[in-house]
Amino acid sequence: MSAAPPQPPPPPRPGGPQPPPKPQVKAVNCPKCGAAIVLRSFGKAETVVCESCHSILDATDPNLKILQTFQSKVREDPPRIPLGKRGKLHGVDYEVIGFQRRSTLVDGTRYSWHEYVLFNPYKGFRYLTEYDGHWNDVGPCKMLPTLVPSVPPKATYLGETYKHFQTCTAETGFVLGEFPWQVRVGEKAEVTDLICPPRVLSSEQSGGEVTWSLGEYMNGRDVWAAFQMPGNPPPAVGVFENQPAPVHESVGGVWRAFALHTVLLLFLLVAFSVFILRDRQVFSADYILSAGPQKGEVSFVTDEFQLGGHTSNVEVSTRADVDNNWIYLNYALINQDTGQAWDFGREVSYYHGHDSDGSWSEGSRSDSVIVSSVPAGTYYLRIEPEFAANHPRIVYSVQVKRDVPVFGFYGLAFLALLFPAIALTWRRFNFERQRWAESDHPLVTTSSGSSEDDD
Amino acid sequence: MMRRLYFLYGMLVLAGTGFAQYSGWSLDKTTELKNIPKSIRDNPGSYRSIYQSYHHYTGGK
Repeated sequence: MSAAPPQPPPPPRPGGPQPPPKPQVKAVNCPKCGAAIVLRSFGKAETVVCESCHSILDATDPNLKILQTFQSKVREDPPRIPLGKRGKLHGVDYEVIGFQRRSTLVDGTRYSWHEYVLFNPYKGFRYLTEYDGHWNDVGPCKMLPTLVPSVPPKATYLGETYKHFQTCTAETGFVLGEFPWQVRVGEKAEVTDLICPPRVLSSEQSGGEVTWSLGEYMNGRDVWAAFQMPGNPPPAVGVFENQPAPVHESVGGVWRAFALHTVLLLFLLVAFSVFILRDRQVFSADYILSAGPQKGEVSFVTDEFQLGGHTSNVEVSTRADVDNNWIYLNYALINQDTGQAWDFGREVSYYHGHDSDGSWSEGSRSDSVIVSSVPAGTYYLRIEPEFAANHPRIVYSVQVKRDVPVFGFYGLAFLALLFPAIALTWRRFNFERQRWAESDHPLVTTSSGSSEDDD
Repeated sequence: MMRRLYFLYGMLVLAGTGFAQYSGWSLDKTTELKNIPKSIRDNPGSYRSIYQSYHHYTGGK
């Protein structure tokens, strides 16, 4: 299936300017091999390449003078979009009329890309370039970019700043179809790319002439859809110079949001601690645990205490004068009326001493636990202490508080806010590192291991 | 777009933190039990904690 043909010109107006002549596809024969050649650019092309013998012919010469011949096997590298295929870009119908393969040699490795010449009789020429599945829609610049003297070089164009990416020598290796310039196989040009994703400014310098073009990144699916190509486009490999980052916006905005949320989190902590939570002590008692022959049951219950307000937490704190010793308390917080209980065990242990490394200590003489979501009501504690029998006496105290702040929540919330910001930053940095790795200004140089930020 | 998504995510984190704090949630491990007999008040030995027989640390260097 092919796209709709280019739109016909409007009817002539009496007394008004005359429209351009009706375009026609012209068929001629190759002067070398005699094969039929279709001229699709309505006389706008300067050279045309015979698809049969690959002779480069002068399209401006009525006799199609042979300009160059070269040996090539087109089947080795056929254009992915065949010549004559029509598609719609920016709402305008274009026809593929030319194709060339160009390459550059960098550090002994040859990198090749493809360029397609598109033509519309009223809009003129446009180009599609493709490298490793990455496509660019390229058109001529409307004005000359302004070069900014800096290291690395920059340029401004239509209010956007472009950063120098790469300068290389491009060599034409294969041509097919029509071209609006005197194309030659083997011709070389110095190509400079400056990027402002998803756009790229390219200058080509050849024989003292500099031409500027502006490209915009396209993914293969959009190209395939525009030209109604069957199947799937070739998959994109790696990161291309002007490929838009998956995280389009600056990660600075995310970090600003992180800072704002952190401030709000602190505000939340202060608000709960000072204004909302009562953090009220509802019970406190001291106990003495003595060694010696056990006289019956060691467990006991405390006096009753009231937990008021809405369902909230309860903090049970223990402090014991342990010294190279431990005490373990089996607690049960029991509702006097409903029989609902919360069972938990807490150990208080503290060890210290001196050795060849100096003084050391482990553990703590105090401990606290926060019981979650305890409804209001009348409660008491059942306590069953355990301790090492080789110590004669341990004094410990128990405190119960209602409505206390849980600082762990704020720590977890901080980490939950921090992790995505770090992940986004890393993803963005990694993408940019891959992008600039192919440039003249890599962010990370592998030889020295040092970093260079071209900002 | 990403900043908006992150902003919304952050607001959800803050709302969740506030809700957890107000509801009295905790990060500590306790075991909730139902229908504890009222006789414990008079006879504490009639109940045994599920945390009893905990292996105590008797360390130090």
